[in-house]
Amino acid sequence: MNTDLYTPFLEATRSVFELMLDLSDVEERSSEGFTGDNTMNISIGVIGDLAGEVVYCFPAETSLNMVKIMSGMELDSVDEFVTSAISEISNIISGNVLTILADGDLKCDILPPVIRTADENKTYALQTACCLATSAGDVCLDIRLDPTAQQ
Amino acid sequence: MLWKGKYELGVQLVDEQHKELFARVEAFIQTLRSSASWENKVTKVNETLDFMKNYVVEHFQDEEEYQRKIGYPGYEEHRKIHADMVSYVVKISEEYERLGFDEQLMQQFAGKLLAWLINHVASEDQRIAAYAIEKGVAGNEH
Repeated sequence: MNTDLYTPFLEATRSVFELMLDLSDVEERSSEGFTGDNTMNISIGVIGDLAGEVVYCFPAETSLNMVKIMSGMELDSVDEFVTSAISEISNIISGNVLTILADGDLKCDILPPVIRTADENKTYALQTACCLATSAGDVCLDIRLDPTAQQ
Repeated sequence: MLWKGKYELGVQLVDEQHKELFARVEAFIQTLRSSASWENKVTKVNETLDFMKNYVVEHFQDEEEYQRKIGYPGYEEHRKIHADMVSYVVKISEEYERLGFDEQLMQQFAGKLLAWLINHVASEDQRIAAYAIEKGVAGNEH
C-alpha cells in the first residue's frame, strides 16, 4: 500500500495555520533536534480504513504564541485554556486531513483529542514525522497509522 | 479585538451576528482570564454563558435559513456542524452546573470555543460566501 500521509498532514497544517493564525511563513523542518522537553503532546485517534493515532507535539512557547495570536491576550503558562485551544486546532487539522484522504477513497474518522505521548513500543506500517517551523514556533506531528483489514 | 474584516461574508444579518458572537466570546474570555478571584468572576461568566447559549442557537437558525434561501449545497453538512456544537454547549453547561460552577471546566470550554469559532467563521462560513458569489446570489438576504 502506497499511502502518502505526509503531504495531506503538511497541507492541512499549513492551511489551518494560515487561516486561523495568519501564519504564512510555515516551512518544513527536520525532526532532528526536536526534543520532547516542555512539550504538550496531543493524540488524535484514527479509526476506519486507517487505524492508529497522530500525536501533535507543541513546545510550550509555540502553544502560548498560537493562543496569544487567537485571543490577543498575553499568556504565561500552558493551562486548561491553552491546552483546550491547541487540542481543538489539532482536531481541526486532523478533520481537514480526513477530507483530503476521503477524496482518495480512504474513509476514516477521528476520536476526541487526548493529552498523551505516542506509545514507542508499537510499530506501524505507515509511520512518519512531519515537522514545521513558523514564526510562532516549531511543531511536530508524529503520524502512526496502519491500514485496516478492509483494505 | 477578535473580529477581523476577512471573516465578513457580505451578508449583513449574518455578519452582524458574527461580530456580536466574537464580541461576546471576547468578553467571556477576558472575564475568565482576569486576575479577579473566581467568586468575583462567576456571576458575569454565568450571565455571558446564558446569553451565548441562546444567541448561538438563534444565529445558527438565521444562518441556516440564509443557506436554504440561496440553495447552498453544503447545507445539511453545515447544519450537522451547528447541531454538534449546540449539543456540546448544552453538555458543557449541564456539567458546569452539576459540578457547582467549576472554573477549570469553563477555561477548557473557552479554549475550544475560541478555536472553534475562528475556524468555523474563517473557513466553513466562507464557503457559503464563495458559493453565493459563484452563483450570483451574494447579498440575497430578503
